[in-house]
Parts: sequence; C-alpha cells; structure tokens
Amino acid sequence: MKYRSLLFKTSDPFDTFNTEELFVKAVKENSKYQYDNCPEYKKILESMNFKPDFIESYDDIQKIPFLPTLFFKNHNIYSMPSYKMIKATSAGTKGKFSNIGFDFTGLLCGLRMVLKIGKWRKLFSFIPANYIVFGYKPHRKNKTAVTKTAFGATLFTPAIRRTYALKYKKGKYVPDLEGIVKAIEKYSKSRFPLRFMGFPSYTYFVLKMMDERGKRYKLKKGSKIMLAGGWKQFYKEQVEKEVLYKLANKVLGIEEEDIIEFFGAVEHPILYCDCINHHFHVPAYSRVIIRDVESLEPVENGKIGLVNLITPMIKATPILSVVTDDLGILYDGEECGCGILSPYLEIVGRIGLKDIKTCAAGAEELIKEVKL
Amino acid sequence: MILFKGDLYHSKDQEIILNQLEDEINKTRRTKMLNPEKVIVALEKLGQSIAEGEFDALISQLNIEGIEKHIDIILMSLKRENIEYKVKTELGEHYFDIQKTDPPFNQKKLWIRPMPLGTLLHIAAGNIDGLPVFSVAEGLITGNVNILKLPQADKGLSIKIIKKLIEIEPDISDFVYIFDTPSSDLHAIKKMAEMADGIVVWGGDAAISAVRQFAPVGCKLIEWGHKLGFAYISGYEDKEKELTALAEHIISTRQLLCSSCQTIFLDTNSQEELHAFCEEFLPYLEVAADKYPFQSIDVIAERTLQKYYEKLDNIISGSAIRNDRVYKGKHCSLTICPDKNLELSDMFGNCLVKGLPRSELFSTLRKHKGYLQTAGLICQRERREELTDLLARSGVVRIMRAGDMSSAFCGEAHDGEYALRRYTRIVNIQ
Ligand SMILES: [Zn+2]
Repeated sequence: MKYRSLLFKTSDPFDTFNTEELFVKAVKENSKYQYDNCPEYKKILESMNFKPDFIESYDDIQKIPFLPTLFFKNHNIYSMPSYKMIKATSAGTKGKFSNIGFDFTGLLCGLRMVLKIGKWRKLFSFIPANYIVFGYKPHRKNKTAVTKTAFGATLFTPAIRRTYALKYKKGKYVPDLEGIVKAIEKYSKSRFPLRFMGFPSYTYFVLKMMDERGKRYKLKKGSKIMLAGGWKQFYKEQVEKEVLYKLANKVLGIEEEDIIEFFGAVEHPILYCDCINHHFHVPAYSRVIIRDVESLEPVENGKIGLVNLITPMIKATPILSVVTDDLGILYDGEECGCGILSPYLEIVGRIGLKDIKTCAAGAEELIKEVKL
Repeated sequence: MILFKGDLYHSKDQEIILNQLEDEINKTRRTKMLNPEKVIVALEKLGQSIAEGEFDALISQLNIEGIEKHIDIILMSLKRENIEYKVKTELGEHYFDIQKTDPPFNQKKLWIRPMPLGTLLHIAAGNIDGLPVFSVAEGLITGNVNILKLPQADKGLSIKIIKKLIEIEPDISDFVYIFDTPSSDLHAIKKMAEMADGIVVWGGDAAISAVRQFAPVGCKLIEWGHKLGFAYISGYEDKEKELTALAEHIISTRQLLCSSCQTIFLDTNSQEELHAFCEEFLPYLEVAADKYPFQSIDVIAERTLQKYYEKLDNIISGSAIRNDRVYKGKHCSLTICPDKNLELSDMFGNCLVKGLPRSELFSTLRKHKGYLQTAGLICQRERREELTDLLARSGVVRIMRAGDMSSAFCGEAHDGEYALRRYTRIVNIQ
C-alpha cells in the first residue's frame, strides 16, 4: 500500500489535480488488494466483468463497481482477519447499522489527514479550552461513530472540561439543554476559550433558547463552534446556516469564520471540512462522482444525482467506491472563490420516501418532547 | 395524539384512555344511536370545508404527488348523492327502516331490525391517502363505534379532519376514537381488538397476517389487502387509442394503486410477439411519461439503488439472475419475463410483459386468487364477452377498459364486496 501512504502524505490537502496520478495508482492498489482478499468483492467484480488491472487512468475509476451503503448494513464483508481490524458502527436509523472494519495503517492515514485539515482550518491550539459537546456522552453501549468524531474533536486542543448535551438515562438519551445553558454561562467567565462540538440542530436550539432569554456573551478569542454529524445533517432545508451564524454572533460573539462544519461517514471515513465560504471541497484523499438517478452514469458538475465517494484509505473493508443514500451536486471549485480549486459537494436530499428519519429529525423530536 | 370524545390528548395518556374506553363505548352502545341522516349531512359539510382549502396546509405537508386527483375523488365520495347512492346500492332501499319478513309455509312473520355491527377497529396500515378518514366514514354511516389506529405516515391529518367532522356534528364524538399507537405497541392494539366486533384492516400481507395473529376468535375480520392489477391483451378494437389509454394509465398512476397495471399479459405463447409488442408499446409509454412527468427524483433514485443492491445481493448469494429482457425507454421500461405469474412491477412506469394464452388464463389467475382485483381488458369486440366471462370466473372483480383501470365509479363494490354490508348485522325479532 505504498501509493496510499504517499497520497496521504500529500502536502496540500485539497490538491486534487497534482495528486490525480497518485490517486489512480492508490485506487488500483486498493482494488487489487480487495479483489485478492475479499471473496465477495471478487465475485461482484467478476460478474460485472471488471478487473483491477483495467484501471489505467482517472476515467477508469468511474467504471469500478461501487457498493451502496445499504450493502454494508446487510452484509459484513471484510478483507482481513478480524483480529487485525478495528470495527466501527455507523449512526443508523431503524436499528440498521453498517459494520465497517478499519486497518491500523488506514487509521494512521486518517490521522495524518485530520491533522493536515485541522491545521489548515486552524483548529489546533495549545491553549486549553472548555468543551460543550452537542452529542452523546460516550457510553459502553454506544459504539456509533458520531460519538467518536464528537469526542475526537475535543482532542484538537487540550480539554479542561467537557459538558454533554445528551445524557444517557435509563437506557435512552435525553437532551439536557438547561444544563448546557448553565454551562455556557459558567464557561463564559473562564479565561479559556469555549468550543462547541456536535449536531447543528442542538446548537441551534440552545442558541435560540439563550437568545429568547436575552443572554449575551463575548467568548474568549479562539472560541469556536464545530458542527458535525453524519452527511444527513447538512441538508439545505435543515437549520438555515445563515440564521445559525447570525445567532452565534449575537449570543456568543463568535465570528462566522470560527464556525466550522465537518462531516464524514463510516462508509467513507474522509474528513470533509468546510472552507471560509462554508463549502465542502473534495480533499485530495477522496473523489466524488455524481451519478444519474436512473442510469447510474456519471453526470456533469452542477447536476443532481446519487453521491459516489471513492477513497483508497481503507484496506480492511472494500469501501473503495461507495454510493450513499444522499442526493448531491458537485460544483466546480472555482465557483467558490475561496482559492481552493477542487470541486465542492453539496448534499441536497436523501433518497426515497420512507426512512427519512435522520439523526437530525430524531434530535428535533427529542427536543419537542422536552418542551411539552 | 389521541382523539377521545372529541378532545385531543397526548399519546402518553394512551394507557389511561384505553382503560376507560370500554366503559365509554358500552355506555354509548347501550343508550345512543347515530342517525345516518345526520352523518350524511356532516360528511357533506366536511367535503365543503376540504374543498374550501381548510386542510390544504396539512395536505401539502404529506408531500404526495398528484394529491389533487385523490382529493377530487374524496370530495366526490363525500357528496350526498354519492353516499345515498352507495347506501342504496350496498344495503338496498329503506335499509334503516324496521321491516317484516313475509315467509312462505304460513310461518309467523319476524321483525327485521338492521343494526350496526357494533364496534369497529380500523387499522389503517400503510400509505394510502385519506383512507383512514374514509374507512371511519363508512363505519359511521352504518352507525358503528369506530376506533381508528392511525398509520405512521399520517402526520396528524386524519385527526384534524375527524375533529372537524365532530365540530360539524357533535353527536359523532361518542362514535370515534383515534389513536396514533405505533404498530409495534401490540399490547395496546390487542386491547383495542378485544373491544371490537370487527377489525377493518388495510394494508399489505404483513399487516394482515399480523392482525390475524391477535384478532380474538369470533371477531369479524374485514381485510382490504393489497391487490395487483393487470392488463390482458387479445387483439384490439382501436389499437392506437387503447395502447395510448393503457400507457397513460400506467404512467399517471405511477403503478402505485391496487388497480394499477403491474403486468401486461398477451394472449400468446410466442416470444416474437412479446418482443414485437414491447417495441411497439414502448414509444407509447415514453409519450405518456413526457405528458405526466414524474418529479420525485428521490423516489427514482431509491428504486435505482434498490435494484442495484438486489443485483449485488444476488451475485453474492449466488442465486441465479433471471433472464429477463428489458426494453428501456426514457423514464419508463418494459421487461419481458419468461414466467406467467401475476407480480408486482418495479412501478413508476416500469411494467412487466408476459405471455399468457387464453387456455391458461384461468389456472394461472387461480394461483394468485388473494391478489385479484382489476383487469384491464383489451381485445377484439367479438371476444370481449367470452374473455370477460373467463376473467370473472377466475376471481377478478373489476373488469375495465384499459384506460379506466383506476377510475372511480359511484356505486362500485370494493374488492368484490359491499363494505357497508360487512359493517352491519341483522336482528330478527319475534
Ligand atoms: Zn471554498
């Protein structure tokens, strides 16, 4: 996996142009490994008349048979003996979870990526900070990746204290928004910055509660709001981002550039982090192909379709090329104007009529229950 | 939300309400009778307020494509003329009057007293719109006490509509109880079932077999299951007109209705004829798809991904991939299958085509007896009588012209039965 390592050592995390050749080689290397080590993957490629050797240029990547995320919810397929892997579970709805195995080297690549992107977005600081985590407090029974990301981000800078918005009580998670409001009040008097981390919907509800009560704070420099969750959190019609930015400034004195969003999925564990214009540019470690909803053929930039994500990061499970349940649009990088030239992805919806209950919708329901 | 005696309650009060429900119902049934005339007046007024847009905001929230068409049908069915005609057709003239038998052999006469069946539990599983209200309306016309278990996708619309109905006619408040109990809460649903004289269940096989599991013995089961519509083609009267009508039916209903055409059977054993038909019919479908464009990209995407997933699943499990021949058009397709079974298509303009010679029609349809409802019959004029007879004998209960497979007609039976008859009973008194 030498090409993978080289790819993840790339100095510019958004240089999708100069890394193209390397990316193709790493994809070929990964595809070969999966083909040789995962019998199910081999079967699929064979029956679709595809061989890893066919991958010669970037245009061949779109021809690699992709696996829908639904596939990983119903099949546990691995390319490694399980003692060599670390397993993660996705934040699923209706009790369906993806089980994905990660290999140690793949995770090291991931760490390298997180450090590079975190540095670019100025997330690191030696100044300790207080943390408010709008997510689940890690619990023995909660193996979901959302918790891991939320917790992981508190490691960007030394954490003094962490307060969680969702508490585990009697077998279920309950939001403790009053507790959060109190914690913000307390931390605002601290000489250290405050960092928020977690689901956008909770952040929005807390800010709104505080706004309605006329609370106004000016948090220390270095305070940041980090919004994360699954892909689903980033639907356009969810909490209008502009509203959230204005509210954060009004209530906490946090500038728009200090509000950072990121997302990732267990089936595509690449850290997508927004630029100063809040666009999600494709990082060098990943490629995105938008596919026509009927023919599954690639469509041009600017057109809506199914989201196909490709990364050679992981060996342990064939998640080389996956299609999510989302509908998205890829835009030319230049259209953003932030200076990053790699295209950026916007998630605009989710497939199907049923199963539309997202984590975010679930969160809103929890909050409504509290209000009643 | 729960609707109990005309007032709304939070779902968490379900246990308390269920505990007193039987006493309430008993009191009503012991002392009160619902006047059908009052129900008819109230339903007609309800139709007016729907037409005036009172529920538009809620209806648009359901986000159902082509909802206007459904609403038109609902409005028509709430009109006095329709309800009176329905009652007359299904129950006969003067049904609600007490009459006397006139028996042979000089036997003594008996009084005939029509009564409601009693308490109906309506389980509106699934996704057909406006249906919960409709089911309850039929229960009310026949004077029953109705307990309605809402489907998950209802989003509060049914409760609002029935609350309005009660505002119009307060007498109805003792005759309708609505619960948003999730289907997983078997304990609560069983409790409701124990109070019922009849369970009216709407939904797929799973919903119906679940109800059969817990329905108390002696409780009448009124099952409105999912059906599969098909077209049978044996020559034409006016080929262009008939194929256009069939194509528009397939595309405009999205094949989502029980009466929608899922499979087109041709009266032939010849593969060449099937191919020739697909080549000829596909352009008709494309024209129709252009005329009734389908907006919901998310639904198309889901179907595509589901099919792709099934393909992968088949590869992994090693099960044989069927040797179907697909004619792919723009936003539609026809698939020639080697078998003769009546089956669900991929819907949304994707129809199955199979050969089924007349001689095998009866035996084939018998294998699908639980799913028969509508057949769209396209044939030469001189064959219509014979084929209609054959379809009727095989268990089909609606034999329509191809374009009208999903049209609604006043006074038509429901899945081969008059629903109101099943919601009533006769008391003979000496
Ligand atoms: Zn940008």
